[in-house]
Amino acid sequence: MKSELVCFWLAVALYGVSTFSYIFGLIARYDKLYLVGLLSALAGFLPHTASIGLRWAASGVEPFITISESITFGVFMAVLLFLVFQLTVKKVPPLGVLVMPTSFVLLGWAGTLIKEVATSLNPALQSAWLWVHIVGATTGFASVLIAAGLGLMYLMKEKDSAGIADRLPELSVLDTQSYRFVAGGFIMYGLMIVSGAYWSNTVKGNYWAWDPVEVWSLVSWLIYGIYLHLRVTFGWRGSKLAWYSLIALVVMIVSYWGIPFSLETFHSGFRIDHS
Amino acid sequence: MTRNERDEVELVAETESFPVEPRYHPIHRIPRMIYDFLASARLAMALLVAILVCCLAGVTVVRGAQAWLTIFSTLWFNALLVLLVVNVACCFFGRIWHRRITVISFGMILFHMSFVAMFLAIVYDSLFFFQGSLRLTEGETLQNSDPHSYDGYRQGRFFSFSRLKGETTLVKMIRGYRVGGEDKRAAYDVEVGEPGHKRREVIYITNNLDYKGVKYLPEKEGYSALIVLSDKTGKELYGAHVPLQSLKQKDNSYLYTTGTKEGAGSFPFPQDSPLYSLQVAYRPDPVKDRSGEVFFQVWPYREGEIPQQEQPAAAGKAPVGQHFSAGGHTLAAKEIRYWVGMNVRHDPGKPVILASLWVGLAGMIITTFGRMRKGRAGKG
Repeated sequence: MKSELVCFWLAVALYGVSTFSYIFGLIARYDKLYLVGLLSALAGFLPHTASIGLRWAASGVEPFITISESITFGVFMAVLLFLVFQLTVKKVPPLGVLVMPTSFVLLGWAGTLIKEVATSLNPALQSAWLWVHIVGATTGFASVLIAAGLGLMYLMKEKDSAGIADRLPELSVLDTQSYRFVAGGFIMYGLMIVSGAYWSNTVKGNYWAWDPVEVWSLVSWLIYGIYLHLRVTFGWRGSKLAWYSLIALVVMIVSYWGIPFSLETFHSGFRIDHS
Repeated sequence: MTRNERDEVELVAETESFPVEPRYHPIHRIPRMIYDFLASARLAMALLVAILVCCLAGVTVVRGAQAWLTIFSTLWFNALLVLLVVNVACCFFGRIWHRRITVISFGMILFHMSFVAMFLAIVYDSLFFFQGSLRLTEGETLQNSDPHSYDGYRQGRFFSFSRLKGETTLVKMIRGYRVGGEDKRAAYDVEVGEPGHKRREVIYITNNLDYKGVKYLPEKEGYSALIVLSDKTGKELYGAHVPLQSLKQKDNSYLYTTGTKEGAGSFPFPQDSPLYSLQVAYRPDPVKDRSGEVFFQVWPYREGEIPQQEQPAAAGKAPVGQHFSAGGHTLAAKEIRYWVGMNVRHDPGKPVILASLWVGLAGMIITTFGRMRKGRAGKG
């Protein structure tokens, strides 16, 4: 087996360990398992990074062109942001309860879709906008995933503030943190849409064509735009927005990976009729 | 203040202000109601949700071209977008007016202003835009201002063809064009402009040519065969460049043939006084560019008939440059050239639209940082 694949599946396995540690930690109310979950996520992140690096080095083609690579890179950004948040900014031990199972399932799914490394990059993708676009999309996903995780923490603490939930930050802190991650995700989705519009303008001469993927990205952006309006203009706080962020995450995953690559669109493996 | 006191104040005000104004202003009240409706935050939310639902329907219930026809191109959907922009303008600027400018409000002003600017630019663009498909064979020149030069075009109500200056020449189509080691696959060496002020550039998928606000973008390319009709003595009677369609086959290979993009077909040949219905297909040589085999199918020409249902009067193949015998004449693909299709666009509002996107994004970032700073200050 290629070293790239060994690293990849090792990362999946360690994310699996992390997932079950978090879930059993939550069920058994045993918070030491959260530490196991965090450490195994950190341990899985290393081979995850290595697998992306090895694949990239093998061909020199950016490692986010196929659906498998796109999911792998998205999960990479999500785990990176999760680890940075957990280790530096604000410690919310059970946060991985949502982040790591999502990462584990998505990365496992990506593993079933792995194809050979592309030997060359489609001419339409030979643009610096590609990086801006992908970084915007993946960081946006990472942000809203953590926002949803914080929303889940909010709901857990609100339901039962005893035990492990007692060691979570105050409800208002969780609410504010979740809002900030949504705002960050909204900006990054904005960056994704703007860079996509510029890129499309260079390649096709139009900035918006109501392509299904464009519409899905608009759907994601509107969903979080509505979230922000509900909070800022209508004063929504707390559990309502926490539920909203969890439901929005499902739509987000569908819009990001579920639909675009299954339809004949500009983004379907980035095919362009150029015969 | 009691009711009696209030009546007294109103009475004094009435007696002291001249001329006496009516208490009820129906004419003033109606615009006020309209403004209140347009400036409603609830309307903003309702519109956002309505557009979101339409978008979701446009990618689930109906898709692709059907979604474009039934939702995204319709008057009612575009009216929703217009109403949202008007609502943004009234709702936001009505609330921010005369307020102290803070980092947060500045960011929000930028964000909402970008929406309004983008909308105005889209309206302007829709009135003055031009989008045409220009097809050229190598060496061919077409007048930009002549509508007949375009296979098809769309234009804004106030667009004038005189805006398209000069002519366009396809000098050469280059296969396997490389820039900095990157394979661009196909590039077009084109020359655009008026005599004495021509601009020549090699364009490829991520590099287009801009001439006086008109963009030339590569779109598609194919083979064009110079088909020559000769008599038995070899004297050339007629010749024409015939663009060939590239039709993808089940095994992912391409068939280059006359016809339409829906399938292979014949055409009257010669064009002015047809003798034959002719179908030509080309198989490129995998090694040597512009060479290979040409396949001919010939039927006697009968006006209004589609000959493919019957056996051809003559069928066979010949290498490029060699003759094929078709009854009393010979046919030859004298040479193979490339044809290219270019997307010609004039979008005068686009710079504002694209700039608005960045302004909007900057507004989002400034607002977020402003809020974070305020949050920290609140804690401190």
